[in-house]
Amino acid sequence: MFAQKNRLLFVLVVIIILPALLTSAAGAENIQANEDDEEITIAYVPRSLDNPIFLDAFEHAQEKAIDLGINIEWVAPFVYNEEAQIKIIESLIVRKVDGMVVSVNNTPEYIDVINRAIEAGIAVATFDADAPDSKRLFHIGIDNYEAGRVTAEGLLKVLENKNIDYRQQEKNLDTMIMTGVRGALNLDSRIEGFLDTVEATNIRVQDIVENQDSVNLSVELLEQYLQQNPDIDIIFFVGGWPFYVPAEALPNFQKWAANGGVAVGIDIFYDALLLQERGLLQYLVGQDMATMGSKGLSTLYNYIKYGVEPREYIETGVEVADDDNLERLLQTHRPWRVK
Amino acid sequence: MFNNLFKKLFKKIEIHTIRTKLIISFLIIGLLPILLSGLLSFNIYRGAINDRISAYSQEMVNRMERDLEDYISEIETFLSREQDFYINQFIKLTQANDFRNNRKYAFRIWEDFNNLKQMKPGLEDIAITFQDGRRISSYGIYNIDLENFRDRMYSDSSGEISFTSPYTNYLQQEVITIVSSYYPEIAEENVLISADIDLDVLANLTDFNLGEKSYFLIADQNGDIIYHPNQELIGQRSLLYNAGFPDRKLNLNGEQYILTSTFSYATGWYIISMASADEVEAELNYITDITLYMTLVVLLIIILLTIYLSSSLSRPIQKLQELTHRASENDLSVKIDTSGNDEIAELGQSFNKMIRRINKLMEQNVREQKLLRKLEMESLDNQIKPHFIYNTLDLIIGLLENKDFDRATHMVEALGKFFRLSLSHGKEMVLIRNEIKHVKNYLFIQQFRHGEEYEYIIDVEDHEIMDKHIPKLILQPIVENAIYHGLLPSEKKGLVIVKGYRENKNIYFKIVDNGVGIPAAKVDEINKILTGRLETDDQQKYFGLRNVDQRLKLMYGGSSGLRVESDQGEKTTVIIRIDQRGGK
Repeated sequence: MFAQKNRLLFVLVVIIILPALLTSAAGAENIQANEDDEEITIAYVPRSLDNPIFLDAFEHAQEKAIDLGINIEWVAPFVYNEEAQIKIIESLIVRKVDGMVVSVNNTPEYIDVINRAIEAGIAVATFDADAPDSKRLFHIGIDNYEAGRVTAEGLLKVLENKNIDYRQQEKNLDTMIMTGVRGALNLDSRIEGFLDTVEATNIRVQDIVENQDSVNLSVELLEQYLQQNPDIDIIFFVGGWPFYVPAEALPNFQKWAANGGVAVGIDIFYDALLLQERGLLQYLVGQDMATMGSKGLSTLYNYIKYGVEPREYIETGVEVADDDNLERLLQTHRPWRVK
Repeated sequence: MFNNLFKKLFKKIEIHTIRTKLIISFLIIGLLPILLSGLLSFNIYRGAINDRISAYSQEMVNRMERDLEDYISEIETFLSREQDFYINQFIKLTQANDFRNNRKYAFRIWEDFNNLKQMKPGLEDIAITFQDGRRISSYGIYNIDLENFRDRMYSDSSGEISFTSPYTNYLQQEVITIVSSYYPEIAEENVLISADIDLDVLANLTDFNLGEKSYFLIADQNGDIIYHPNQELIGQRSLLYNAGFPDRKLNLNGEQYILTSTFSYATGWYIISMASADEVEAELNYITDITLYMTLVVLLIIILLTIYLSSSLSRPIQKLQELTHRASENDLSVKIDTSGNDEIAELGQSFNKMIRRINKLMEQNVREQKLLRKLEMESLDNQIKPHFIYNTLDLIIGLLENKDFDRATHMVEALGKFFRLSLSHGKEMVLIRNEIKHVKNYLFIQQFRHGEEYEYIIDVEDHEIMDKHIPKLILQPIVENAIYHGLLPSEKKGLVIVKGYRENKNIYFKIVDNGVGIPAAKVDEINKILTGRLETDDQQKYFGLRNVDQRLKLMYGGSSGLRVESDQGEKTTVIIRIDQRGGK
């Protein structure tokens, strides 16, 4: 009897509770589905479109976006221009994207626009070039000081191989440094790392040439500089701006290298490797732009989607290109230009 | 009433001087043609301005239509490209999510699109848009709301090209977009190729200065505004739309406008010019002001010229008038400095000549007056001869001694009257009545002195002459001559007749005595001396006759004077002629 009564009560409870549970479960599914349906849009803002160094990041960010099922935007002025880049970031604020990963300078204008984006509820991270004084969420890139240091060590190794005495104090090794713009934190750190490493040598910086982050201007300035200073001993390219043109477009640079000039630089990509193969560059240090694209996106996605707090600095590491691995690197890196 | 009003008005502006008359005349002559020609020119210009504004507006909208169509057609040419290898590759690899191989095409497209942007000012962005809203443009890769984008699109007349209404694009720029469909050979999905055109391009195309209030606008076939200087109106239906935008004059927000429009078949847009009628009027006002100022300047020049000319003409006249006035005020030292040989110079010369003549006459007159005074004084001296007075007084004493008091009284009375009339209070002219009385007193005294040896008759026929004035002491010297040189030397009973009459407006006196007479030669000599035909150095010769004769001639001219006739032994007649027409 009791069992019967309990059975009846159980059935009644089941009849009453089951629909409620079912309804509740269905609701939970709907909520999950809605969350999934909400498309996340993350925009990458490189410094410019005309700098192929960012293509690795572009490629891998897109692939990662497919994996994550989110929208990715890749927007920048074609040629680097601070005002135009800030305008693009502002348009992203107006369009209320969910997040953005930007390559900027640590200047008040960039800091201001990043902070405005964050105040608008947009998650902002930096890649390649950082603005640590802003409220950006995290930075992904290389340790630029380390990159500079590694480049300098590579240079010393090249000099040794060429039997050039960099410790001899009687004769200095005159050096020109080509950078984008002074004040770009990543570039300044590279220079600092480089200079600290060669401090005890006879390597002396004669000139620092700024190319305003422009590929075309960098080529022009390089050729012009070598025309006027053919006796310079070493060139340190803080970035790979002039490496995008074929060697034939750099006659003075070719002549200078043939006369024993030593050039080292940061940024590894296919065209730079070709120049290295032709003997115009002796040692290169590369950034892992692919990781900056994929990991930067996934880190920001996890923050937006799941609230996972990222580390403030995400180190992507450097690779080097020297005579030992050049052939292999030429196989793995792909040309960016349409032939 | 009006007559009075006009009279008062004209009286107020009564023209007194030649200078004013000349100024007014010159002004009327100078100003009337200028005002008439100015008015005529202004009206002609006004019509021309209106025509020009309409023609200019039409030319502007036509030119804008051409510029717009040229601009749009170049973009359409780009958008209507047949097949592009790089775009095709990009579409195919994008559909396959082959990012590794696609990045070089993406880079190439960015490069191409940015090169095109550089070449075409106002081209803000060029993009390829996939069916899901993914887009590659000159700014990179991003997504748009394609449905929303399509809602803005409308086709042109050919249907191959579409336009959007103005909107804010991805980069928050105000643009219109020209869109064309692209069908890649190697992929099934068709895409849209589009070009964003900055609305500033339309502003530049319409950047013609019609005036501050005038402007241009562009609207689509439905009257929706594509471009308007007031950006708030962009996208709204134009209030000017009236089944198109027919040319007309209209009132908008209290302003008058001249609407001129043209329709672009290539874009399906109306280009509309709104020329402010007020500004056209303002231009006319400007012209009016210029005309007014020029008229004022010309007026000023005319006034100055008029003043100069009228002064040049009237100054000698004024000088002449002033000098004439001074001359009339007895300043005969005046003289006009004449230069030139015009009428006024001649008038000045005549004036100077006249003044010289007057001066001469005045001098002559002074001389004559002096002479007259002298003659009068001499005549008076002649009256008051001591022996005449002493004899008469002795005679009166004798009468008193004889106790003939009545006659003594008459004599004293006659003598007193004689001298009173002789002096006549210093007057130069006396009534003939008094002159006759004077002669009577004289004759009464002389008759008594000479024992009544002769009689006298005073005969004045025309009593009207009694009230005429003649120089004093005219008759008495002649009567005295008659007594002393005619009657007293004669043995017979003497008679003196003094006769006065008037003939042909001349007053005549005849003093006739029946004395000894005068020889004919002497009469002739006397008359020659009196008429000036004979000169004599002896001032005392015929003193009485010459004194009277000279005084009459001085007073009445050469036609007046004395003439002596005589029949020796019979009588002597002295005729006094006073020609009143020559009197002073």
